[in-house]
Amino acid sequence: MSAQPRRNVVTNALAQIGEAGLFLLTLLAAVPRSLRHVRETVRQLWFVGAMSLTIIMVCGLFVGMVLGLQLYYVLSIFGGTAASGTVVAIAIYRELGPVVTALLFAGRAGTSVTAEIGLMRATDQLAAMEMMAVDPIAYVAVPRYLAGLIAMPLLCAVFCALGIFGGHLVGVTWLGIDNGTFWSNMTATVDVWKDVVNGILVKSLAFGAVVSLIAVYQGYTTPPTSEGVAYATTRTVVASSIAILALDFVLTAFLM
Amino acid sequence: MSQRNSYAVGTGLFIVLGFAALAYLATQTTSVANTHQGASYTVQAHFANIGQLKERAPVKIAGVRVGQVRTIALDPKREAADVTLAIDERYSHIPDDSVATIFTSGLLGDQYVGIEYGNSKKDLAEGATLARTKPAQQLEEMLGKFFGAGGVADNLGGSYVLKARFSNVGALSVGAPVKMAGVPIGSVMAVHADPVKLDAEVELAIDRKYDQIPDDSAAAVFTSGLIGTQYVAVQPGGSPEFLKNGDEMVLTQSAMQLEDLIGKFLVNGSPTEKKEAPAESPAGKH
Amino acid sequence: MTTFAAPTEPLVRIRGLTTVLNGKTIFDALDLDIPRGKVTAIMGPSGTGKTTLLKHVTGQMRGDAGQVLVDGQDVPELSREKLFALREKIGYLFQNSALLTDFDVFENVAFPLRQHTQLPEVLIRNIVLTKLQAVGLRGAAGLMPAELSGGMARRVALARAIVFDPMLILYDEPFVGLDPIALSQVLKLIRTLNETLGITSVLVAHELEAIKQVADHVYLIANGKVVAQGDPKTIAEDGSPWTRQFFGGAIDGPVPFQYPADDYAQALGLAGARA
Ligand SMILES: Nc1ncnc2c1ncn2[C@@H]1O[C@H](COP(=O)(O)OP(=O)(O)OP(=O)(O)O)[C@@H](O)[C@H]1O
Ligand SMILES: [Mg+2]
Repeated sequence: MSAQPRRNVVTNALAQIGEAGLFLLTLLAAVPRSLRHVRETVRQLWFVGAMSLTIIMVCGLFVGMVLGLQLYYVLSIFGGTAASGTVVAIAIYRELGPVVTALLFAGRAGTSVTAEIGLMRATDQLAAMEMMAVDPIAYVAVPRYLAGLIAMPLLCAVFCALGIFGGHLVGVTWLGIDNGTFWSNMTATVDVWKDVVNGILVKSLAFGAVVSLIAVYQGYTTPPTSEGVAYATTRTVVASSIAILALDFVLTAFLM
Repeated sequence: MSQRNSYAVGTGLFIVLGFAALAYLATQTTSVANTHQGASYTVQAHFANIGQLKERAPVKIAGVRVGQVRTIALDPKREAADVTLAIDERYSHIPDDSVATIFTSGLLGDQYVGIEYGNSKKDLAEGATLARTKPAQQLEEMLGKFFGAGGVADNLGGSYVLKARFSNVGALSVGAPVKMAGVPIGSVMAVHADPVKLDAEVELAIDRKYDQIPDDSAAAVFTSGLIGTQYVAVQPGGSPEFLKNGDEMVLTQSAMQLEDLIGKFLVNGSPTEKKEAPAESPAGKH
Repeated sequence: MTTFAAPTEPLVRIRGLTTVLNGKTIFDALDLDIPRGKVTAIMGPSGTGKTTLLKHVTGQMRGDAGQVLVDGQDVPELSREKLFALREKIGYLFQNSALLTDFDVFENVAFPLRQHTQLPEVLIRNIVLTKLQAVGLRGAAGLMPAELSGGMARRVALARAIVFDPMLILYDEPFVGLDPIALSQVLKLIRTLNETLGITSVLVAHELEAIKQVADHVYLIANGKVVAQGDPKTIAEDGSPWTRQFFGGAIDGPVPFQYPADDYAQALGLAGARA
């Protein structure tokens, strides 16, 4: 990359956001062209989605277990352990599920997408595709973007299911909260639209869109050097984490 | 080629798993699980007070969900609530003299209708009315029971009464526990303002088991944690005489206001000293 | 869309191409023709812009002025669709192979076929294996790019470049890293492709001996211009100072060995001594 004019942190960040936005338009414009590369999207879905399942499941289980334990301690002060099912479900659906899944996804899949695309540029693979009359935006960028977008809500749903299971395991199986109470309180309070749809679907789709965009954009625009790829990978994690948490606040304010 | 197919299969499995999880969460852990699908029959019940009972609340027998509340309406003639229960067709052998009660799942949980079987040979039929009902219990009663640690408040025969005066009881309410060394020994039976002395008179019901409390013991209104409920703590004195039924505890310490606490914390004492003095009981000597 | 130019018309016609990169003039009103059905070699010192020239021909880069006509179409002016349609007819061997690291050797060679055709799997297999056999790597079909040596990767990239039997193949340094046996095999391959299929070939290479065996015509580029051209067998003896220096390997001469820079002594802080 040519030496950039020195800019301060704020204008730099704004410029990056602007460039990422334009890049998103490029991506969206290329979606129709990438329909012929459906197979590639499926393959990427395997890498970013299915391959992230293990970490998502393990983390979901532990988050649910910790939540079950903490809630038991806190709620037993008020004699309200019966509410733990409700609180586990609502906390996981509304916040922990989408946010933790997105953070894990950024670390597990986002970085690998950035590094992969960055190295493809560094080793002229993107240029080689251009030369074989294959549009790298449509063949490399869009499938990874779409795969991230599709994978996120699915991973989030799996995370939430394991979280509920973990909460149930600790609360009911180990600490002896009544099984029926646990479920009936949950089903009485949790709402499909406000909790499941807004949390799992809307939030995680939004996070998926943002994290995938950041990952693909960073990979696509990184200077083709090993240092450039390293920086881009770091930036993917940092920018994704900030974006997830900031967006979470905005979405919560609007949705809930 | 086979490499390509295995991706497709794995990805397909992943998508199916994700949607299955989503479908499970959406239908089994939310109120959707409560919307009834199978055939059911309806019965009526009249309650004097339904508390927080809502439509779609579960109807349970022996803790098992058998149906749900369909409608709730006020019967203006009788000042009673008319509740329609939709009960699953499978549970059609409910004796017609069964008792319907409004229960609360746990302390903070939602309310539901519990049915306890009667002895009649006849079953409840579609449109029938459950004649025997028990209304929702009020939270105050519940609290009394709960904090009474083993039903002290209920079982007045097993307890004796002490009095204590506080210049400020904070948010102390009837039913709050009385603790000694952190162990509940009774509960607050009554709190009322004294129109003459302009302070609060509190009656404490103490379990008979604890009848050897020295008569110079102090009573203090404490808060469990920062946001917890308030309770009366008894700090035993050293006198050989014991408190008897109807005695008054003269050494008391009033509830601290949150503002005072914060003031103390921030200003390091001085402005609080002044406020602390009137907080002492008139007979206080420390 | 393809305007059929007369067979005598050169396939690639470059006129007045001027390119400035980072303030350095790479091409200075360059004129160059690649005749149809012939093997043309392009030589020149490192860093003169041979790779850049190939990138202009394929539309990966645009000059600041001038024309690049390929098969009658002005490349810098083409729309994306037309450019991609043109590129489907051009094979390109990258200087650094640029194999797709995600795929094994077989899939790398099959990649253009899969992207642009709906051929049945059997046919794809046959075409790919034929091309791999031609570069002597049929046995390596199952290896991943990371498991190949530099010379093997070169040959896989070569197989990929020719898999479509394009009308024009651009080879950027195809002989680097090849042992003498592989070298003569590749030479034979280039010759065969040219003779049997009439494929126009452009070779960027430094090996004059190899070029003598395959090329019909050779250009020597230096300082952004064609400084000499002619039959490869005789060009070294044409007597111009450019060819004498370049093929003789002399450091001093009109061809600059140094990348343009400020004064050496000054850079070393000896300016005062000289002044
Ligand atoms: N993207 C770029 N930006 C700026 N300058 C470039 C860029 N690419 C190449 N150059 C410059 O253009 C010149 C020509 O580069 P090119 O790669 O075409 O050389 P070459 O003739 O192929 O050399 P070699 O024989 O070593 O491969 C070099 O001086 C290089 O510094
Ligand atoms: Mg080069």
